[in-house]
Amino acid sequence: MTARDNELEALSALMDGEATELELHRVLNTVSSDEALRSRWQRQQWVSQALSGRAPGLDSVDVSGRVREALTQPRPAARNPFWSVAVAASVTFAIVLGGQQLMVPADGDARPAVVSALGGGVVPVFGAQPVQASLETQSINVPARQAFREPTPRSDFSPFYDQLARDRYLQLGPVHAAASAGNHPAPFVPMVRSTEVVEPQAKR
Amino acid sequence: MVRRAIQRAAACLLLGGLVSVGFTQPVLAACSADTDPARALTRMLDAHHQVSYRGTLIYERASGRQFFTVEWPADGASGELTPMNAGVDPMPERWSPPTVADYQLCALLDVYVPTLDPGRVVSGRATQRLTLRPRDTLRHAYVAEIDERTGMALSMATVAPDGKVLDRFEFAAIEFLERGINDGAGSDGRSAHHTQAAPSLGVSPVPGYFVVAKDDPRSLFVVSDGLATASIFIEPLPPNVPAGEGAVLDGATLTYSRGIIPNGKPILISVLGEIPITTARLLADAVSTGREIP
Repeated sequence: MTARDNELEALSALMDGEATELELHRVLNTVSSDEALRSRWQRQQWVSQALSGRAPGLDSVDVSGRVREALTQPRPAARNPFWSVAVAASVTFAIVLGGQQLMVPADGDARPAVVSALGGGVVPVFGAQPVQASLETQSINVPARQAFREPTPRSDFSPFYDQLARDRYLQLGPVHAAASAGNHPAPFVPMVRSTEVVEPQAKR
Repeated sequence: MVRRAIQRAAACLLLGGLVSVGFTQPVLAACSADTDPARALTRMLDAHHQVSYRGTLIYERASGRQFFTVEWPADGASGELTPMNAGVDPMPERWSPPTVADYQLCALLDVYVPTLDPGRVVSGRATQRLTLRPRDTLRHAYVAEIDERTGMALSMATVAPDGKVLDRFEFAAIEFLERGINDGAGSDGRSAHHTQAAPSLGVSPVPGYFVVAKDDPRSLFVVSDGLATASIFIEPLPPNVPAGEGAVLDGATLTYSRGIIPNGKPILISVLGEIPITTARLLADAVSTGREIP
């Protein structure tokens, strides 16, 4: 297998969200100097978005060119900061007020069903199949870190960025744990949460 | 005509947004621990300044179960945590006690509704179940079983807004040591230690979350609502990487990364925290819109 084959294979793995950290760094290093590989990446991303039902976005065609073009064009009225602030304010309003209405029950002190049904189980939030792991039974192994996507209007999630987020989690998790310890009533919990983060790094 | 109508609508939305933000700002001077749930919450926050203990801890999340031994204090100023199923002869790690700030109870009561119920027996000790239900969708819920005698959380579960348990810990065994035990918290549940080394209350980039640390060499700033904490990092985005976003969730810890290209300079914003994705996005917005974080 040639070096070129390796690069293409790493790129494919990246697009599928299956790239290792080594492949991730290899692609990032190569793509900055290899126009052909960069074009292939953009084409694959376009195909991926089309297959997933998302219209190809601005960034999937030629980001740097489009950004340059946008910067040289006069700003349209819709990009006035006033509109941005107004939209942000409306989103905040909707989230906060809507959330307050949804989360606080009418009788104020009533316990939600989920809390009373806690028992001793932990279920993964994201993933293909529900898993019940309780203190009384053996836990079931599922992938430790599962990428997820939310069906939101802003569907810019991509396997590449999921991979990047996973990489940042591994790198920055211990830093976040140290920052969290002073703000948690059980101060050992942030470190407990990051323990599994440290293990893969130690193995490398 | 249409343009004027849009402007009027935007003005209304802006006003609505400002009003809602105003409602969500904590009224820090107006709260007090005058109810049983609030007193229980205060005791839980302050417990590590009242007790000494050693025990065995079980921690569960979707990826499995881990066991640790915990000791507090281990050398007078820090606690010790030793993972028991990570390898042979594991190295203990150190952790610092929480800093309980004056504002913390007020800030928590502003964004959570505490309720108190009889709890189950945990590690052979009677507990009370303290439930912290969020008032909005920007944070998770917490269910803690706190020791009746010391107020310390012997178990705690983090529950997502959709009701799923993200992670939980529980002491399988715990031994409270005589040294340092103090059941005599004040009538308001606060001890004399609650203000030591406490961070000051910073600005609030997202409702209910305040900046508690900034200018760390590696992170831009850290926010907390008194329970949930998020760290925001900014790094250069590798060249020629298109803008986008992605996220992974491990237990209760969400990692959200967003690549943006403002002014032709690609940057990567990463938010790590025990927060919902909505909150992570708002925190990233606070950075990417250039909002001032003093």
